Amino acid sequence: MEHTESNITPAPMLEARNLTKVYEDGIKALDNLNLKVEPGKIFAMLGGNGAGKTTAINLFLDFIQPTEGMALINGINANKEPLEAKKHVAFVSENVQLYPNFTAMQNVDFFVRLGGKTHYSREQYEAALHRVGLQSSAFDKKLKDFSKGMRQKTGIAIAILKDAPAILLDEPTSGLDPKAGIEFIRLIGELRNEGKAILMSTHDIFRAKEISDHVGILNNGILMAEHSSDDLRGVDLENLYVEYMAGYMEHTESPIANALKPS
Amino acid sequence: MYTLLVQKELKNILLSSKFTATFIVCSILIILSVFIGIQEYNNAVSQYDINQQIASQNIEEANGWDRVRNIAHRKPNPLQIFVSGLHFDVGRLSNISSRDDVKLSRSPYSDETIFAIFRFIDLAFIVQVVLSLFAILFTYNAINGERENGTLKLAFSNSVSRAKYLLAKFSGIWLGLIIPLLIPLLVTLLLLMVYKVPLSGADWNTIAAFFGLSMLYVTFFIGLGLLISALTQKSSLSFLLLLVIWIGSVLILPRIGVMTAGQLVPVRSVAQIEALQQAYEQQQWDEYSESLSNSWKQRMQEMEGMTEEERQAYRDEHEWNWMEEDDALRRQVRENITKNNRLLLEETQNRKNHQQQLAFNVSRISPASSFRLAAMNLATTDITLKSRYEESMRTYRDIFTEYVEQKKEETDTQGGFQISIDSDEGVSIDFGRDDQKLDVSGVPQYTAPDVSVAAAFGRSIIDFGLLSIFIVICFGGTFVAFIRYDMR
Ligand SMILES: Nc1ncnc2c1ncn2[C@@H]1O[C@H](COP(=O)(O)OP(=O)(O)OP(=O)(O)O)[C@@H](O)[C@H]1O
Ligand SMILES: [Mg+2]
Repeated sequence: MEHTESNITPAPMLEARNLTKVYEDGIKALDNLNLKVEPGKIFAMLGGNGAGKTTAINLFLDFIQPTEGMALINGINANKEPLEAKKHVAFVSENVQLYPNFTAMQNVDFFVRLGGKTHYSREQYEAALHRVGLQSSAFDKKLKDFSKGMRQKTGIAIAILKDAPAILLDEPTSGLDPKAGIEFIRLIGELRNEGKAILMSTHDIFRAKEISDHVGILNNGILMAEHSSDDLRGVDLENLYVEYMAGYMEHTESPIANALKPS
Repeated sequence: MYTLLVQKELKNILLSSKFTATFIVCSILIILSVFIGIQEYNNAVSQYDINQQIASQNIEEANGWDRVRNIAHRKPNPLQIFVSGLHFDVGRLSNISSRDDVKLSRSPYSDETIFAIFRFIDLAFIVQVVLSLFAILFTYNAINGERENGTLKLAFSNSVSRAKYLLAKFSGIWLGLIIPLLIPLLVTLLLLMVYKVPLSGADWNTIAAFFGLSMLYVTFFIGLGLLISALTQKSSLSFLLLLVIWIGSVLILPRIGVMTAGQLVPVRSVAQIEALQQAYEQQQWDEYSESLSNSWKQRMQEMEGMTEEERQAYRDEHEWNWMEEDDALRRQVRENITKNNRLLLEETQNRKNHQQQLAFNVSRISPASSFRLAAMNLATTDITLKSRYEESMRTYRDIFTEYVEQKKEETDTQGGFQISIDSDEGVSIDFGRDDQKLDVSGVPQYTAPDVSVAAAFGRSIIDFGLLSIFIVICFGGTFVAFIRYDMR
């Protein structure tokens, strides 16, 4: 544990040190990544498809082993002591599906208990589901009848209920409609205010700027730039966008990128 | 945590509509099969009783001990309700007489051919084919399906060990599939009691062992499903693979065993044996007639130069000898033929046994064969059913014929028949006791061969062992695969 008593630089809750991942087929998905997320901060990883965002998050969760470097959660090496490290982290995946035969409530109950929180009442589950914007009528519906966004909301509720000091979010807004997206951003702000350290990956530059304390631009596995929210305040969004897209355009021909390209 | 995970697996199975549908179908099949099995058994029993009666009546009404004919019947076995095995294919009865060899004939299917077309589906078949498919249906996506759902990632974003997760997964699925199957199985036991099927304590033990065997077999397929699901990333692929493996191990491999054994140890067909027997017979008779004509030639030679009178005298003197000589020769030929026939049959039987053993051993690479063989051995409706009965019927034939011989001798003086020739009535044969019935109280009764439970268990122990080994291999493999499983 790296708890420091000084208030100037609190110990990071999430930290990547020289984190490098080369896949079996030789693709260097992550190249010497260094980043820190302190409690009460949001770090947004921006990057195009295949930039290495999911790879970074998978390393924190010990789903893959790093080629070099380490991922630390609350100072614990996630690949050396995964069971210990994962006690301190909640996770929302890119494409939450959950158990199709379980209701939202049953899914929430199972995963929250699995996360070690067994003291919740049904009311508390309901409150959390309300908080993420799921309508009450859906609470006892089976997940197979849910839309992508509704599943995403359920997944977020699970992460909130786990009440872990660190939260990993992989493109959490990908399935959400604009209203839900805005609500989600507000929700993340609340979580930050509660003192959570949040690392999220996203394609959405505007939201990233709006909410984050730090924005890292990832391209081809390399963290090209890291800006604090203070930096961003002065920077013209357009410039940042171009800078980000330039890195993006170099190695992909994504239709999304093309669509986003200003005419 | 373990209980939480087990509960989740249980719920996941029990809440799925797939489960409700297949469970109901399986239950109906199981109960129906045993219900029909009981009816079949009861029919067989009443038929057996009637036949027994007719047989003893026939003895009673015979015109004398030398006219006594007996038939021995195969006794219906209540375990055939669960594992019909060879019951429907082996003959039900055999003539018992000193003249003919014991040969079981008139199998249930040969008597009622319509039933042979839509064969009786016994519980063993349902377990072997339907329940194995059922197990695969609920395990093919046990692991890769959770990967596809993203639930594996979400679960392992928590402090959960893979070993524990897998163990809970297995326990949950096992309980979720096996416990519901116990319900229809218990109903079948109830049916047995309601229909008052006469079951001994040993039979109940055997049924329990058969249920245990079935569970072992289904457990194997649960393990197999988990293994393939842990070895693949996509559930569509694992389903296809499992289907192929299922077809191979349930439908193809058991037959391949028999085919390979047939190739490796060829056995003469009945037609071939008959051809060989006939050829030998022909050769023997040819030789006989040749030597006969030779000896006659010689006899003629000896008489050459004799006068007609001398010849007559010579003939009169030697005729008896010659006849005896010829007779002896004929007897020798007959003896040779019988010996050769027996030798041929024995040799074929030995090769057949060898082939059978090989076929079983080869087919045991498939757990479906192990299951089938063990089930039939337990129920004693196995391959030895026929030889077992024929052997005991042969023993009975000896006892029976001896008894009849003795009776014949005893009653010869007063009971022998008398041929009287009368100018009015012509020839009449008088048995002396026309209206009197024979006293059959002392006639030895045929009792079915008894296979001890210990012997039946002993013969199925290899297959229990093999199934257990297969299960251990599957679970060991699943464990190794899951520890290294890429859950992204
Ligand atoms: N299992 C794998 N084996 C080999 N290469 C992989 C594997 N997973 C990802 N990659 C490669 O690693 C690189 C980074 O992939 P990653 O999934 O981390 O990107 P991402 O930033 O999350 O993209 P997206 O925005 O599309 O989610 C890509 O080039 C990808 O092809
Ligand atoms: Mg990604």
